[in-house]
Amino acid sequence: MSRVFLTWAVTHSVKEVQNEDSVLLFVVAWTITEIIRYSFYTFSLLNHLPYLIKWARYTLFIVLYPMGVSGELLTIYAALPFVRQAGLYSISLPNKYNFSFDYYTFLILVMISYIPIFPQLYFHMLHQRRKVLSHTEEHKKSE
Amino acid sequence: MKHYEVEILDAKTRDKLCFLDKVEPNATIAEIKNLFTKSHPQWYPARQSLRLDPKGKSLKDEDVLQNLPVGTTATLYFRDLGAQISWVTVFLTEYAGPLLIYLLFYFRVPFIYGPKYDFISSKHSVVHLACICHSFHYIKRLLETIFVHRFSHGTMPLRNIFKNCTYYWGFAAWMAYYINHPLYTPPTYGDEQVKLALIIFLFCQLGNFSIHIALRNLRPAGSKTRKIPYPTKNPFTWLFLLVSCPNYTYEVGSWIGFAIMTQCLPVALFSLVGFIQMTIWAKGKHRSYLKEFRDYPPLRSPIVPFLL
Repeated sequence: MSRVFLTWAVTHSVKEVQNEDSVLLFVVAWTITEIIRYSFYTFSLLNHLPYLIKWARYTLFIVLYPMGVSGELLTIYAALPFVRQAGLYSISLPNKYNFSFDYYTFLILVMISYIPIFPQLYFHMLHQRRKVLSHTEEHKKSE
Repeated sequence: MKHYEVEILDAKTRDKLCFLDKVEPNATIAEIKNLFTKSHPQWYPARQSLRLDPKGKSLKDEDVLQNLPVGTTATLYFRDLGAQISWVTVFLTEYAGPLLIYLLFYFRVPFIYGPKYDFISSKHSVVHLACICHSFHYIKRLLETIFVHRFSHGTMPLRNIFKNCTYYWGFAAWMAYYINHPLYTPPTYGDEQVKLALIIFLFCQLGNFSIHIALRNLRPAGSKTRKIPYPTKNPFTWLFLLVSCPNYTYEVGSWIGFAIMTQCLPVALFSLVGFIQMTIWAKGKHRSYLKEFRDYPPLRSPIVPFLL
């Protein structure tokens, strides 16, 4: 969900941010994450999951996830002045639908939403890591 | 007369929570719940779910002990439904909010639109009409809650009040903000549009009220009987010929009327979301009617004649 938003509604829509380093940051983070994640799914389906892939999926996120989030937030932040200037995706009163929407404010709210959401997801992954990797250890020991 | 013994176990842990001896065979589940509360006062009857099977359906309060498939020592499983709040409380709170919130915007209370507009009333007549209609709608709902509706369940989970109030109060504030805004644009087709919308709105308000009265009359006070609703002498109830839940049909109609009257996109969105929710409820109600009554009229659809 945040992938589509960052890609289409931010980076594609606001051409001026496309040269930012923050874009490189989240693209690299996402790319590595996805390569590992889909390998994990593929091997799982084939019932032949190398421990390395499982380890990578449940460990590398510790660095990749904050990296990705930083890239995303910095990109949105960089886009703000251009959104404000162009009035991008915004509609103001008066108009015959008696409706208004300020994309700039919306983006700020999106950034704020990272504050409650990121820790929840991060700790959930850490919890999963403890469960999944210790389970494998037990398996190995019992063999 | 042989007495029963009832043991109550926790449905998840199977712990023995309570043992009741010398229970009358004709005791109801409601009475058993009251006895259970004595030993566990934090679990008042409304938050008890008692069932014969840990994963089964809850027994009804009216069920009688000797009519259940149990031996003289009955084992019941208990699940805590969580803190409960009465339907009446929830309804009154969730409806009082929009009534008051809308008025705050209508009277242009300070800190909403800017000091230039504080307490200045709108110059558009439709804005005054909209306030009357919106207020009428919620006053009607409050009065119906107090005097008309007969609820089959006394309570619902406590968290629902936060969810429901956020929905009603949030949307009320959102709609009221635009309708009462100094830059509000009146409907494109002017008085004609407002007149038509008002007729639709009033028609549906009357319709909705008629259905509520008809449903109330199906059920004697204090009972939980369920009967098939049929059209009465009141023409507004003839919609029962075509739909199971005409109260929802009329409700959507009222909001469509209000949306046309105010020509305000947030009102249209509120109508749409309400329609989706009411359709889900209507389909559920329709399904339970079909399950419970063999002779349920086949022509009826849940909420929209012939379509939905």
